[in-house]
Amino acid sequence: MWQYRELIKNLTVAEIKNRYQNTVLGFFWSILSPFLLAVVLWFVFRNIFKQEENFAVNLLVGIMVWRFFANGTFSCLVSVVAKPNLVTRVYIPRQILVLSTALSSLFTSFLEILILLPIIFALTGGIPWTACLFPFAFILYFWIVYGLGLILAALFVYFRDLSQIWDVLINALFFCSPIVYPISAVPYQLVPYYMLNPITRIIFVYRDLLVAGTLPSLNTFLLLAAFGAGFFLFGHFAFQKLQRRFAEAI
Amino acid sequence: MDAITVEKLSKKFRIPHERKTTLFQHLIGIVKQQYAYEEFWALKDISFEIEKGEAFGIIGRNGSGKSTLLKILAKVLYPDAGRVEMNGRVASFLELGVGFQPELTAEENVYIYGSVLGLSRKEISRCYREIFDFAELERFQNMKLKNFSSGMYLRLAFSVAVHADPDTLLIDEVFAVGDEAFQKKCAEKINEFKSHGKTIVFVSHALDTVKSLCQRSILIDGGRAVSAGQTEKVISDYLVLLNGENHNS
Repeated sequence: MWQYRELIKNLTVAEIKNRYQNTVLGFFWSILSPFLLAVVLWFVFRNIFKQEENFAVNLLVGIMVWRFFANGTFSCLVSVVAKPNLVTRVYIPRQILVLSTALSSLFTSFLEILILLPIIFALTGGIPWTACLFPFAFILYFWIVYGLGLILAALFVYFRDLSQIWDVLINALFFCSPIVYPISAVPYQLVPYYMLNPITRIIFVYRDLLVAGTLPSLNTFLLLAAFGAGFFLFGHFAFQKLQRRFAEAI
Repeated sequence: MDAITVEKLSKKFRIPHERKTTLFQHLIGIVKQQYAYEEFWALKDISFEIEKGEAFGIIGRNGSGKSTLLKILAKVLYPDAGRVEMNGRVASFLELGVGFQPELTAEENVYIYGSVLGLSRKEISRCYREIFDFAELERFQNMKLKNFSSGMYLRLAFSVAVHADPDTLLIDEVFAVGDEAFQKKCAEKINEFKSHGKTIVFVSHALDTVKSLCQRSILIDGGRAVSAGQTEKVISDYLVLLNGENHNS
């Protein structure tokens, strides 16, 4: 992969340019959409959870976590099929198509977080020092998204209805994660199963680091690293196996 | 040292009786017990070696498997059996302008296509002027590619491709596009590559071009190597094959 770093960089930049090429305003709207979603959800749910501390900020952070997951995995899913020429007409390691897409989603998410920081500052009156550790969580999260993206992209070549299925699952996941409600709303006996969702863990880590200013336990970080390594390794080997017949099936 | 070694290469395609592209169709197929497909050997036991600096032709009728063979050499398709060994930097021209993005400018696309062909940013920058000179498109560097005519598009793609400086070129009739002047330019460039000692694998229907370019060739029919050796001999075998076909029908 290393010898293709130039190509990875070029494709990532091209991906970002394509995404935001409708002038400055297009860029503005795409950044605005998560915040508008947050406003709508805040209006709907603020009365139910009004006793929750920092409900608005936590909601925003939750939406950012979910958006990286939703955008990242979905754009990875179509990344191979969307560029048939780079699969059937020339040889490049096909992971590059997924990686460059995942990296451009990482960039988008990074921009959203950058805009989120002043909002956190305005709403809570400060940004905790633990925000410096945020990039670690961000990178671990990236490997989960990329690993999953590899699996999805490879399967999508063979099963073209996966996009509809995944769309439904992403939305289900939104409501299975503590974004619009606090975890205290989850029935006590279901919490252990609920915590199996890696998104839930990441939302807690993000909120700890960016809002509450508390350090997540080392175990949480190790668990996230394990999730990241697991998803990436599984995704990598599954992709490696499935990509052999890409050119025939695409 | 051989540039390319192919040993007992075979490629099998699965042709489903009914093409299934969704999970839903696969599930229906399992329930109805219709999970059958036919196997079809597109290539069977192909072996040959190509020396460094040699121009090698692959000829055959439509559907004989010659493009499949080239795609395996280009690593686009995965062989089911046998061994392929390639030495040196390989550039495959199964199509020109792979990876071009219509929404980006010509300049950006030159860098993208260059990196698809394995060039580093530095290498592209070094021959950047020459690329646009050769394509005669200096004035259009900052124009978006979607506003290019097909001729301009092709000239730009070809110009990047010839500056890629690979050790081995895999060429599939791509150069049979464009107007006469462009084709002439392409032919000159290929001859120049040959005289610089590049290895060339050439798939074509144009027997005259194969004859003038390649010393050795292979004739493929029905996925098998029917004839191999000196190009003249292989071409006469091919003509016999074609004539035999005509007599039968």
